[in-house]
Amino acid sequence: MSPIRTIAVGIDGSPDAEAALRWAAGLARSLGARLVVVHAAGLLEHAGGGAGPSGLEGTARRLTAEEGLGADRVEWYRSDGDPCTVLLRSTEPPVAADVLVVGSRGRGKHAGLLLGSTSLQLAEHASVPVVIVPTGERAAE
Amino acid sequence: MLIVSGPVGEEGHARDGHPERPARIGAAMGGIADLHLGEELRLVAARPAEPDQLLRVHELSYLNELAMFCSAGGGDLDPDTYAVTDSWSTALDAAGAGLGAIGELRQCREGVAFVVTRPPGHHALRDRAMGFCLLNNIAVTAAALTDEGERVLIVDWDVHHGNGTQSIFWDDPDVLYVSTHQWPAFPGTGRAAEIGGDDAPDRTVNIPLPPDATGDVLLRAMELIASPVVERFEPTWVLVSAGFDAHRADPLADLALSSGDFADLARMVAGWVPRPGRLALFLEGGYDLEALRTSVAATLSALLGGPYRAEAPTSGGPGMEVVDGVLVKRATALAAARRSPREGSPR
Repeated sequence: MSPIRTIAVGIDGSPDAEAALRWAAGLARSLGARLVVVHAAGLLEHAGGGAGPSGLEGTARRLTAEEGLGADRVEWYRSDGDPCTVLLRSTEPPVAADVLVVGSRGRGKHAGLLLGSTSLQLAEHASVPVVIVPTGERAAE
Repeated sequence: MLIVSGPVGEEGHARDGHPERPARIGAAMGGIADLHLGEELRLVAARPAEPDQLLRVHELSYLNELAMFCSAGGGDLDPDTYAVTDSWSTALDAAGAGLGAIGELRQCREGVAFVVTRPPGHHALRDRAMGFCLLNNIAVTAAALTDEGERVLIVDWDVHHGNGTQSIFWDDPDVLYVSTHQWPAFPGTGRAAEIGGDDAPDRTVNIPLPPDATGDVLLRAMELIASPVVERFEPTWVLVSAGFDAHRADPLADLALSSGDFADLARMVAGWVPRPGRLALFLEGGYDLEALRTSVAATLSALLGGPYRAEAPTSGGPGMEVVDGVLVKRATALAAARRSPREGSPR
């Protein structure tokens, strides 16, 4: 197995994404890896509509600090696109993630359907391992 | 003669506060009314697309799941895209409307068709809704045409790259996809080096333009980059993903076109049509209602030769240097494709 140097975690402002972020931060801390927090900017975000959670980067930095991960190991990456496309692209440079971490449900609320499920579509298409953090999961102490 | 297929989406598929809204159809139809076409306007009611027509471009599992999702009341498909109970029937009508337009054009053997439908379609992938789009309307029509042995040029001048359309026809040598779009912007695809798959090299032309680019830049790019490829391709049909969100007033993007630029662009595209009655435009984006109305009127007037006074064309914006860059990147990508086949479609 190749070493895990870079972990990418998707964040969209949902509680599940925050749980995934905490879990990924814990993993990055234990492996000594770099953590890249990935946010996909959609069409509505450009318009200043409801889909663009403000302060996401600040939230990410606060949560990763709470999980004991040094700020120098956390990077913010925002890219235009839908969550699945952007996360898949983060396995390529410049992010070059060795593993992807996502919550089991993002801002779409219909778990159990393939339709619109970023986590399941990532699992099908990604070239690196995908970790799907269940609802309510917390980073290991 | 103008053949209008639709309108579809004046009600039903809607969510409060969302920019992709029923009023867009009223604005587009208002632009048509402003032309006062009288007997030169023919309305064709849209008929829902049949399953075999949809299956040319979408996966069965996706269609089934979308239908069930809507029948259960719908919800969020992604942070941008929603569905409600009526969305499935509206999407079927939108996907079938282009087929009706083609049938009418064939019967008339003249004129231009405008497919006035929503939700838009060019972001919809084979297996996924995206970017306000549920079914890929223009792809359904293009695939029906290629099934009959036609060679289809799709020009996509929506401000956002039509990743769904590109992906669906990535390896199809009978479809040439030409897109002008803002870069960087949603959906993050549409680089100049994306030129088509192993079975269809040079069948995708992407012209990414920087924010604030004006009409002169876009037209120059089309003339120097797209025209030679179109001439080599020799299309038998021309379909247009006619989004009007590259207008400077649009709230979802940052290009700086006027309605007069869309008129000039339409005239250029009309020059690629092999013979009368082989041009159909499909409404995609465009979220400022007044800009949508005036741009629709200017575009159709240019195609029909009417007296409508559009806004003056724009010029002087950034991006002229992009033209040379795109040519170089395309040449490099084509040379690399000839040396070694590449894998997969850009997502």
